[in-house]
Amino acid sequence: MMKKLLLPVILGLLVFGFWISPDFQEIAAGVAIFLFGMLMLEDGFKLFSGGCLERALEMATGSITRALGFGAIATTIMQSSSLVSVITISFLSAGLIPLLAGVGIIFGANIGTTTGAWLVAGFGLKVKISAYALPILAISIVLVFQRSKYLRGAGYVLAGLGFLFLGIHHMKEGFEAFKDQFDLTRLAMTGVLGLVVYTLTGAAATVVMQSSHATMVLIITALAAGQISYENALALAIGANIGTTVTAIIGALTANFQGKRLALAHLMFNVLTAGVALVFIGQIRLAVDAISGFVGISATDYALKLAVFHTAFNVLGVVLILPFIHRLVTFLEQVIVQPAEDLSRPKYLSEAVDEFPQTIQIAMRREVHHLYENAVELIVHGLNLHRSELFETKDIAATVRASRAPVDFDIDALYEHRVKTLYSAIIEFATRVGSKDIPAKPMDDVYLMRDVAGQIVHAVKSIKHMRRNATHFTQKPQGVITDLYNGLRTEIARILVEIRKLDEADPEDRSSLWLDQERIQVETDARNTNKTVDHLIRDHHLSASMATSFLNDSSYAYSAMRDLLDAARAYYIDTEDAMAEVERILTLDEDDLQDLAKDTPKSSTKAPRAPARKTRTTQ
Amino acid sequence: MKLKNSIEKLDAYFERLESGKAQKIDPDHVSKMIRKLTKKREGLMAELFETIKPSKKERLVQKCATLDAQIERARWLLDQIG
Repeated sequence: MMKKLLLPVILGLLVFGFWISPDFQEIAAGVAIFLFGMLMLEDGFKLFSGGCLERALEMATGSITRALGFGAIATTIMQSSSLVSVITISFLSAGLIPLLAGVGIIFGANIGTTTGAWLVAGFGLKVKISAYALPILAISIVLVFQRSKYLRGAGYVLAGLGFLFLGIHHMKEGFEAFKDQFDLTRLAMTGVLGLVVYTLTGAAATVVMQSSHATMVLIITALAAGQISYENALALAIGANIGTTVTAIIGALTANFQGKRLALAHLMFNVLTAGVALVFIGQIRLAVDAISGFVGISATDYALKLAVFHTAFNVLGVVLILPFIHRLVTFLEQVIVQPAEDLSRPKYLSEAVDEFPQTIQIAMRREVHHLYENAVELIVHGLNLHRSELFETKDIAATVRASRAPVDFDIDALYEHRVKTLYSAIIEFATRVGSKDIPAKPMDDVYLMRDVAGQIVHAVKSIKHMRRNATHFTQKPQGVITDLYNGLRTEIARILVEIRKLDEADPEDRSSLWLDQERIQVETDARNTNKTVDHLIRDHHLSASMATSFLNDSSYAYSAMRDLLDAARAYYIDTEDAMAEVERILTLDEDDLQDLAKDTPKSSTKAPRAPARKTRTTQ
Repeated sequence: MKLKNSIEKLDAYFERLESGKAQKIDPDHVSKMIRKLTKKREGLMAELFETIKPSKKERLVQKCATLDAQIERARWLLDQIG
């Protein structure tokens, strides 16, 4: 209801304002141009993502000091705490940074955002800022039309700056002219009532404009034009800090529990800081006067003193809360509990990761790994094995032979629940981000991971097909046919173990080339299967119907093995381009594999033992 | 191990490199790969010494042979790009 009413109320107020004062139009247009400039600035910086921005953010996770520094510096450069919040939530949702670092970055961003007030009060009001705006805009548009992503990004950033300057100019001019018609200082309030009313006004203005930066510029220009009192400007600045948390809350709506925790931390920090500032406003004002006098700010330069106040109370907030940051994180983890893990739901692919190439890429890789873990459970149980035994044994063949009891589970239902749903989410995610303007390299990786997911799903389907016979022929010894099926189970199990070794190895030590021997083995075994079965039929050790079942199932088994190996090779290929090129040149291709399979003698491990008796069971 | 396919893949890589679609391989990259393969081989050799079961020994020997061939190919690649 409130949401529905808000838009017509805002539009109505604007129209009313335009009707009573043409100068209000200039102020409103100034705000609009300023906000447009901020959007362009954010779009420009987003074009630089996929590189230094993400690397810096990852490095920021080392310590609280680094996280604070990153938040402050990034916000100072980008002049947008909202963008820093969105990036942080995105990285947190993708599992790229821990909550503690995320909280540190957000606190740092609160300090960084105060530089905006300094820029406006110290530079924007003191020079004819529009003189810079127009040439900047003219240069920016040339860059915006360039093909290079980074030149376009620079163009958007410059255009953003140009519009910011232009917006400030129009707000300044508007307030100067407006004061001749209306004296807003008549609305000034003193005492506690003034503090409360103007704090709420500042918060409401920030919620409407979705930018504390824009609110601060509006406050500073109004203050410089003498349209609001210094005392009320301080309360408005405090309100702007509260209102800005709405951006983080909106950003967290589509994020996972970590993003929601971060939004709560942001809200708590800003409300606490605002509370302290309101309670101790007298003392902080005295401190601001002292600092201003110390750095040479004139006692009547209220715009700059407001900037000092804005920085002082945000720094104070950080200083107060920093000793309790670990407790705050514990509190957040208790209040917003991590939902019980539902293996059937995507863990990493949320809309919160959609914005940045690196979060898209990492989230996709992690989700595919999640799918693989689910698939391994189904494959292992489908073969009546257990992961704990398989991944710890020193003798895979013996473990497989000993695992005869069927694992009681519905493979079709679990396939639908834990594999197909995740695969659908992966396909949907790849399609969704594919429609965005994502650079080619991360997008290629997203499509590669989608294909890897397809191979994993295909492997599970193959196991589903062979499960019934594999169970039937291995739950009790039935001679040669049991050995043959155990051979297939063992080979699949070996591949799962090899992939696990690759996964657990240090990325600096591992190579997808490790799997080449398994690939040779699969092709050798597949090639020898027909010969082996022919011999067994001829020697009356295997009935024709059993042989048919086995040949069909071996085809599923080798298909599963190839899919698993190909998926792992694609997944674990080196992430550094040049190293991946080396791996691609050195790896065996299909022709090599077939040649080697031809040359490799049949492994003694494959030969089924001599039958104790001729079996009659068929399936 | 036969080098015919590696030669073809190397030629294809050089073509992609010329058209700016591939990242340049430095000798350091190949040396790093040789180190990775050698380390894996050392691990397999240690496992081989502890292994008693003949079939497992046979598998490990085959793995070592494949790694030897890969190391040999990598050294050839190092010569080509060095």
